Amino acid sequence: MSKNKKMVLLALFVAQALVLSIVESFIPVPVGIPGVKLGLANIITMVVIMFFGLKEGLVVVIIRCLLSSLFAGGPMIFLFSVAGGVLSALVMYFLHSRLSRLFSTIGISIAGAVAHNIGQILIALVTLQTLSVLSYLPVLMISGIIMGCFVGLCSMFLSRTLKKLNILN
Amino acid sequence: MLKKGDIALVILLVVAVIAGLAGIRFYRGGMKGDRIAVIKQENKVIREINLDEVQEAERLSLTGDYNNIILIEKGRIRFEESDCPDLVCVHTGWLDKTGSFAACLPNKSLIMIKGEGEEVDGATY
Repeated sequence: MSKNKKMVLLALFVAQALVLSIVESFIPVPVGIPGVKLGLANIITMVVIMFFGLKEGLVVVIIRCLLSSLFAGGPMIFLFSVAGGVLSALVMYFLHSRLSRLFSTIGISIAGAVAHNIGQILIALVTLQTLSVLSYLPVLMISGIIMGCFVGLCSMFLSRTLKKLNILN
Repeated sequence: MLKKGDIALVILLVVAVIAGLAGIRFYRGGMKGDRIAVIKQENKVIREINLDEVQEAERLSLTGDYNNIILIEKGRIRFEESDCPDLVCVHTGWLDKTGSFAACLPNKSLIMIKGEGEEVDGATY
């Protein structure tokens, strides 16, 4: 793949991730737990990691977090989403490249979602310096498991279609 | 479609969640006495209030990168209003149980309820 084509494709993926993260902020999550998000943008992270690799995945995640915190949020929100996003990308890449014999896209995506939760709780621990933040982790993990499953299914269908379309070769 | 590792992973995570929830319940069950609300901003304690002895509702405003208004009533406390972007703090709603907390990360503010006589350091580091 030429350098230019790759750049354009990655830019498109960033744009799609950004749109997904804005769209999901309009969807109310009917669980009565504050701060629980769907994490639809992880579909793009997953697909980029599958088709390109770790470096590209991280670039897409970081640019998406930077832009979405410019649209809504601020430095704290950026720190939060980027910590979750980077940790999740690292975990998903590791499982995808080393252990894909054991894990399907769904499992990888669940692990990524839970890693995302853990990354955010770590930042909350550092900023608030209170261990009570940890009590929030199990609740977030439940949503992580469910949404990770959904995101995994979406990534699986998307990657199959992309493979058939042959535009990423 | 699903592979062995997926199922093992989900089982492991579910066990971790259940263990975590049980641990929190156990930890909170050990707290007794009056409920003391602690209001912190940028890791400094702004105020401590004994919620069981509150007579009249009171509002407290916290100014920082954003502005929070905290409402204190007898036995409960909450973020009432905030101009931060995500409003997670306000959506957390009322806190009335020992061990519960609400935080506004953009404003680095935190309210939590601890048991009577419990050191703040017992829950923080």
